[in-house]
Amino acid sequence: MTKPLLDVEDLRVRFHLRTGTVEAVRGVSFQLGRERLGIVGESGSGKSQTGRAILGLTPPPGEVTAKRLAFDGIDLLTASKRTLRTLRGGRISMVMQDPKYSLNPVMTIGEQIIEAYQAHARASWSEARDKALSMLEAVKMRDPSRVFALYPHEVSGGMGQRAMIAMMLVTDPDLLIADEPTSALDVTVSMEVLRILDELVTERGMGLIFISHDLKLVSSFCDRVLVMYAGRVVEELEAKNLREAKHPYTQGLMRCLPTLADDVRPLPTLNRDPAWAL
Amino acid sequence: MLDIQNLQVVFGTGRLRVDAVKDVSFHVEPGAAYGLVGESGSGKSTVLRAICGLAPITSGRVVVDGKEVTTPRSKAFYRTVQMVFQDPYASLHPRHTVDRTLSEPLAIHGEKDAEARILQALREVGLGPSFRFRYPHQLSGGQRQRIAIARALILRPKVLLLDEPTSALDASVQAEILNLLDDLRRKLGLTYILVSHDLAVVAHLCERLLVMRHGEAVEETTSKALRSGVASNEYTQSLIQASQGFTRDAKQPTQALAG
Repeated sequence: MTKPLLDVEDLRVRFHLRTGTVEAVRGVSFQLGRERLGIVGESGSGKSQTGRAILGLTPPPGEVTAKRLAFDGIDLLTASKRTLRTLRGGRISMVMQDPKYSLNPVMTIGEQIIEAYQAHARASWSEARDKALSMLEAVKMRDPSRVFALYPHEVSGGMGQRAMIAMMLVTDPDLLIADEPTSALDVTVSMEVLRILDELVTERGMGLIFISHDLKLVSSFCDRVLVMYAGRVVEELEAKNLREAKHPYTQGLMRCLPTLADDVRPLPTLNRDPAWAL
Repeated sequence: MLDIQNLQVVFGTGRLRVDAVKDVSFHVEPGAAYGLVGESGSGKSTVLRAICGLAPITSGRVVVDGKEVTTPRSKAFYRTVQMVFQDPYASLHPRHTVDRTLSEPLAIHGEKDAEARILQALREVGLGPSFRFRYPHQLSGGQRQRIAIARALILRPKVLLLDEPTSALDASVQAEILNLLDDLRRKLGLTYILVSHDLAVVAHLCERLLVMRHGEAVEETTSKALRSGVASNEYTQSLIQASQGFTRDAKQPTQALAG
């Protein structure tokens, strides 16, 4: 195997609160090449904190430790702030859940993409504009120059999310972290957004970390899936072998979803074994 | 039990006029569960809100239990029809205990025997009496949704309007709430109208459903037909396909894109 793009070993995220210390991520290890990795878990499982810790975006009282947290040979824990700034948005970028809250409401979409590009590349405004327009075209906006001049409140959720993907990919990152990129969108729209994301990731040979609560979606989209429970990875498996999941939590998660294919009544519920969290 | 005839809901006038629901009709038998499915902006929630008086009825008739509804709705109406909202984090008063939340409808309707009714309501939704004096922030999302259901059931209504009751919850908690709703319907002989964007959830809980799009009814179908993949309408077909998860090669409904 070639050198991994991202190497995470024993990642821990702790929050020291007045009421005691909460460990949100408890020893997560994985390696990522140029592939699509899914991280699945329910709320509070630490999946989003894992994604944020990689980018150094853990909110203030949080503390991140790891035996190794390296991106392409660069140690992210000891790297200077300056190095981190060039990496973030440049070589690693992140698509957030809700375009309504993650886009700047007082800048047009075009300006925001240009800002993202110029933060990492020496480019004149007109070069940056051409790049932004071609990116908007790449995410299948019907009229890129019109969307370029629109403010975030003037576009729909699906368009906003595609604009955010355009912004994140304009710098040609090596690694994209997508944290629930489609949870705020309608089903048919989210399929379209995923299709675009899939095309761009495959075309550019990026690594992708796809964080979601939706096991079915992740397994149909990714190559490999990590299942998280209470801050730990309880199971790692190839997406296509999801049906052969061994851990009772993964099995329970799969079974408790109602499906169109068969009618199970009552739905099997998940009996949480306290031993899983140990 | 519930008869909606040519319901139309319009917000605003002139340039700001929005036709949220255009000429929707359906009929629900007593004891049945009826689903409304569609994407955001399809008007499915507005239909529910128009039934219970949270949105205006511009034209058309809403008949509940043989009587056409009056605006404003009478007290008797709210004894028959109650609603459960989508977000259990927003629909419970943060500074009221469970006990106070549940006693409010009893006080409004002058019901006696509040204590016993509250304990019974808690039991019905599978929570013990220990939850009675907790605040919403001391409950998990699933527990909160159970309280919201208990609040709706405490007046013994015949019709329950459910607006995306599980979409804010985790998958395993969703299963618990769906089972609870299924049980309660059988035990108490309730009539449900369920709004959801999730076809699988609607097919699980309801026998019949209406697919909506841009405020119009697209197709009325049964969950049996949905399960066997039979849908005469192209839009319904695309919803079924999208609910199967992501596929790399399948054809996409291009109309979903509004770029």
